[in-house]
Order: sequence, then structure tokens, then C-alpha cells
Amino acid sequence: MRNRLIILTILLSAATASHRVQAQDLGIYASIGVATMRMDDMKYLLESIIETYPVEARVISSFPPYTASSFGFLKRLYPHLKLGAGYGFTTSGAKANYSDYSGSLTTEITAVSHRVGGLVSYSPISGDKIEFSLLGRLDLNVSRIDISTLLIASGFSNGGESTYTAFSPQASGYAEIMYNFGSFSFGLEGGYLLDLPGKLKESGGSYLSDPNDPRSDLTSDWTGWRAGIKGILWLKFKEN
Amino acid sequence: MKKLVPVILAGIFLLYRSCFYAESDVYFVDVVPGDPPIFSVSVNLDTIVEPEVNDSLEVFYGAEIEKGEFYLAQAFVSKSVVFESDSVANSFWLFPGDVPYPGVDTLYIIFYYSTNTNSLADIVRLEANIVQRKYALQFN
Repeated sequence: MRNRLIILTILLSAATASHRVQAQDLGIYASIGVATMRMDDMKYLLESIIETYPVEARVISSFPPYTASSFGFLKRLYPHLKLGAGYGFTTSGAKANYSDYSGSLTTEITAVSHRVGGLVSYSPISGDKIEFSLLGRLDLNVSRIDISTLLIASGFSNGGESTYTAFSPQASGYAEIMYNFGSFSFGLEGGYLLDLPGKLKESGGSYLSDPNDPRSDLTSDWTGWRAGIKGILWLKFKEN
Repeated sequence: MKKLVPVILAGIFLLYRSCFYAESDVYFVDVVPGDPPIFSVSVNLDTIVEPEVNDSLEVFYGAEIEKGEFYLAQAFVSKSVVFESDSVANSFWLFPGDVPYPGVDTLYIIFYYSTNTNSLADIVRLEANIVQRKYALQFN
């Protein structure tokens, strides 16, 4: 009985959708929020770097939850189904430092993720004002990791910086609840992103290897939770 | 409505840079200095009255340091480095050609050694105590 009800609901939804398929609304969305990320290899690398310091430094910050934003477009194919594509940006970093009156020694790791991909959204609850949706998203991610160390002491400074890049596929699942004001929707979204860690490679150079095991390469890993606010501007087109 | 799209895009563009991760905190340490090194140095010119550089003149120095590290000895004549060594005892030669014109010129010998302050600059050898000696020499 329960299964029949579910099937009936789906069929009714599809039937209702077929009447509105011509009203293909196009939406532009933007979201900003916060993201956590695993980054185990980068945390380990920073710990390994400060072990080589001639002084006892401390990790000030190690990949805290930081800014995540995205924008793109959505196309409502059916009342309950939307497809879209977009760009996402996430950043975080880590820092270790030692400072005294004579100078400082600092290592910073800055991580930036650029991802481009497509999404599908299904809205099990789709009223005039409130819409609850489940989203699945697949992206190609480009990670850029900058690692820099700077010594400043007695007016002398010396340092170096290396940049590494990694490519990785990502999949994410989100839930969002939006409130509709005419042609504008505003709401909250949250979900989990799964990153298949990509090996970090210096531009035109070699892979970033484990300082304690040169046979092992280090990776970026953006796997983590996402939450944020989201707005959608719907551009309605006339029906044919 | 059409104006809203560029406003949103411009907003995203402007926010983009400010969203980059930045961390300004530091771990500041109040270092506890060790005992300062005990340093002494002798130069053979200390015992020569009105030294002259005719054909050549050999200069000897010997430094002694306790609870510290000797870094460098540098000798200058007429603002030019004529000698440099990290040995605690060494010698070098001066010649009349070390100065542009004959006459009285000053030889500076500067000794650098550790401070034992235990600061970062001390540990990476970028902080030093300095002892300077200067001698008026007659270059002929």
C-alpha cells in the first residue's frame, strides 16, 4: 500500500510537471557560506616543516572552516526538477609561526579550490512560497596550494614559495530550503562534499612528496561539510 | 530587474578577493637570554708605535671566547675589505697599494661573535656582538 502511494505521488508529480514544461524558467544563483575540509596531508606537511625549524614554532591555524561560494545558473525543466551548472570557490589555509623581538619565522599554506560542474535538483516539497530541494552535484576541481616560508631577523629576510596544482573529481549532495518572493528565491543550503584527492604537482615539475617518505605523494582533500545562504534570481520567459 | 544581474555579478567579483584565506596571528615568545659570552682579542699592532706600511706589514690577531661562538673578523682600509676570516686567530698582509694615496689611513678590524640571547636572530647567526679596533697607519 505504501509503495503504491509513493508510485502514485511520483506519477502525479510527473503529470503535473508535463503541463508546465513550456514555462522553462532560467535562474541565476549565488551562494556564500562556510566549508570544512579534511586536508590531512597538508596538516601533516606543516607539522613536518616546523620540525625542521631551529626554534620551537607553533601551528597558529590549520585549515579552519572557511569561505565557500558559488554561482551559476539553473533551468527548471519540470516543477520538481531543475538542472544547472556553475562555478564554486573554496579557500582555507594554515600557518605556523615563531616570533620574538629579533624577528619571525613563518610558514603559510594557502589552499584554493576552483570547481566547475553540473547539478541536478529535485524538489519533493514545492509550494508557492516554500521549496525544499535535494541537490546532487558533480564537479571537476582544480586545487592550488601555495606553500611559503619567510624568515625575518635583524633586518634580513629570506624565504621561498612553491605553488602546486591538483585536479580531482568531486561529488556532493545538498539539501536546500528556499523562500520565494516572486522572481527571487532566498534560503539556506547545506551538504557534504566528497573529494577524490588529487596529487599535488609543481607547475612543470615534480609531485609534492612526503618529506619523511619520498615514495609517497601528498594530496589536497576538500572533503567536508558545506553550509551557506543562497539566492536565486528567476528570469521568466514567455510561453510559446 | 535587468540591472540586478550585473549588480550581483559585480558583488561576487568584489567579494572574491576578500574571501581568500588570511591569518594574521603570531606565536610570540619572550626569549630568556643566556649568559653573554666573554670575549677578548689581541692584535700585534697594539704593541707597535706608529706602525708604517712600506713594502708590506703583517697583522696578527688572536681572539678568545668563552660560552659563545666566534663568527667573523673583517679588516677595512679606505672603506675596502682587505681581509675576512672566521678563524679565531689569523694574520693578513697590508700593502701600500691598499690605499689610493700615500699617507695616514685607518685600519679597522671588526670582530663578530654570538650574543647568547637565544633569540631567533641569535640562533640563525644573524645577530652578533661587535668589537671594533682601529689603528692609524702610515702608508708610504
